[in-house]
Amino acid sequence: MSRALSGVRVLVLTAAVALSLLPFYWMALVALSAGDDQITLGNPWILNRPPYLGNFGDLLNSPEFARWMVNTLLVTVGTVLVALAASLTAAYAISQLGRRSARTLVTVLLATYAFPQTVLALPLLVMVSRLHVADTVWALLLAYPGLVIPFGTWALWRLLSREPVRELLDQARIEGAHGLDMLLRIVLPLARPALAALAIFGVAVVFNDYLYLYVLVTGDQATTVMGAAQSTTVDVENPGFRFAAMLLGAGPIALLCAWFVERYARELA
Amino acid sequence: MAVLLAPAVVLVLGVIAYPLALAVRYTLSDATIGEDGQWVGLQQYAFLARDPEYRAALSHTVIYTGLSLVLKLSLGTAVAVALAAPFRGRRPVYALLMLPLLFPVVMDSIAWYFLFSTVHGAFNEGLIALGVLRQPYAFTGSGGSALLVLVAINVWHGTPLVVMLALAGLQSVPRDVLDSARVDGARALARFRHIQLPSLIAPLALAALLGILGTFGDYAIVHLVTAGGPGGETHIVSSLAFAEALRGGSLATGIAMALAVVPAYLVALVLVMRLVLRP
Repeated sequence: MSRALSGVRVLVLTAAVALSLLPFYWMALVALSAGDDQITLGNPWILNRPPYLGNFGDLLNSPEFARWMVNTLLVTVGTVLVALAASLTAAYAISQLGRRSARTLVTVLLATYAFPQTVLALPLLVMVSRLHVADTVWALLLAYPGLVIPFGTWALWRLLSREPVRELLDQARIEGAHGLDMLLRIVLPLARPALAALAIFGVAVVFNDYLYLYVLVTGDQATTVMGAAQSTTVDVENPGFRFAAMLLGAGPIALLCAWFVERYARELA
Repeated sequence: MAVLLAPAVVLVLGVIAYPLALAVRYTLSDATIGEDGQWVGLQQYAFLARDPEYRAALSHTVIYTGLSLVLKLSLGTAVAVALAAPFRGRRPVYALLMLPLLFPVVMDSIAWYFLFSTVHGAFNEGLIALGVLRQPYAFTGSGGSALLVLVAINVWHGTPLVVMLALAGLQSVPRDVLDSARVDGARALARFRHIQLPSLIAPLALAALLGILGTFGDYAIVHLVTAGGPGGETHIVSSLAFAEALRGGSLATGIAMALAVVPAYLVALVLVMRLVLRP
């Protein structure tokens, strides 16, 4: 019985991993080929010629790729830092309120998720144009934290309103901690694992946005590596360069986050 | 306290409440791109109620969201159960399974577009080599099969979130409870139903909510893989709204299309939050 079951488990997991990796495997094949051979000739499931590293070499010498990466890092790190700071301070403030008003506030924040980006994107464009930040990384830095903060505030508020945590905070208050001191010395260390989980959530939000990027940043100057992937529909003459840019531009960060998901996901459960 | 709350409130409401107010105002006018337009009251919504294209997009949205959701929840739960007990190499397996969630959807949608391509696409070439097909099949050539392609990509992209949440739920069941049930002779299915399933309800409800809300915004997959085609047969509300507003230039109609479905999402959100927030 248990042996048969473990056979099923192995099968399920093998199939799941293979399916998860399929598009990445295919992208790697194209990225490791010169010209358009891999998408027009031969067997698309294997590398038909010896691996070609030129696309990755071109990337490392490309000022465009460097700019995309700088923008990607600015937007991702900026969004995460702003969202975590705002969520933590808000969650702390809310945890000090009465239970009823706390729940109302958190529900209002969470209800914003029911308003899809499709509704908000074009008015946001009007807004960032008025602020003269359309087509800059500032537009994204303005738009993205709002997508992370409601969930972040909710998760941190739940953490801070757990009984043992409340007692700890009360104790610290009796001993004279207050204000910023309390936030930095007591709340921050307590929330560190949850903040790590939220940072991963923030990266996922930034990486998976398409609409805001598409609407708010139209030029190539301010775009991220995600924007670059979609801006020119893939160059069919030389797809290798573009797929190499995707893998190298987003792969390491995605993998790094994936490695820590489980360790921190429990903090939010 | 107010100082601590301010950044979150400003950043959330500033980029949601203000654009939302603008959006509502647009939908009560006949604004186009670049023209603020005239006040027309509820005419845009009256038009939508009769618009066959919009109705079609609504039904595609329901099918796309519903089918994806059922598949994501069942596949995700199965994978989570398979991952629940420890084994060697579990951490890298878990990490690789999370990649579809963390890798930008724009990028993998482009890869899927090529994989499903009629011209030298990997799936077509593979099926021909295996003798299943004689000539390439146009996966995105007809509405039904194109919608299934979109569902498949959506499921690929969204299942890891279900795995993550379901697994966190499963792990809240103490290991020795499961072990003693096993010793007492409870079969795998009974152990799942009576011990593991109850711990899955809240996380799966949350996963369902995120799946429903996320799929609405899954504009990238639709836009990049089928662009709503062929002949509008795979337009979901968000992609039709965007095509109408941005490419068709009818800002007011496009935004009204998206805004009209918000009440349904709010109801779903409140129902699920009550379940999840239950103390």
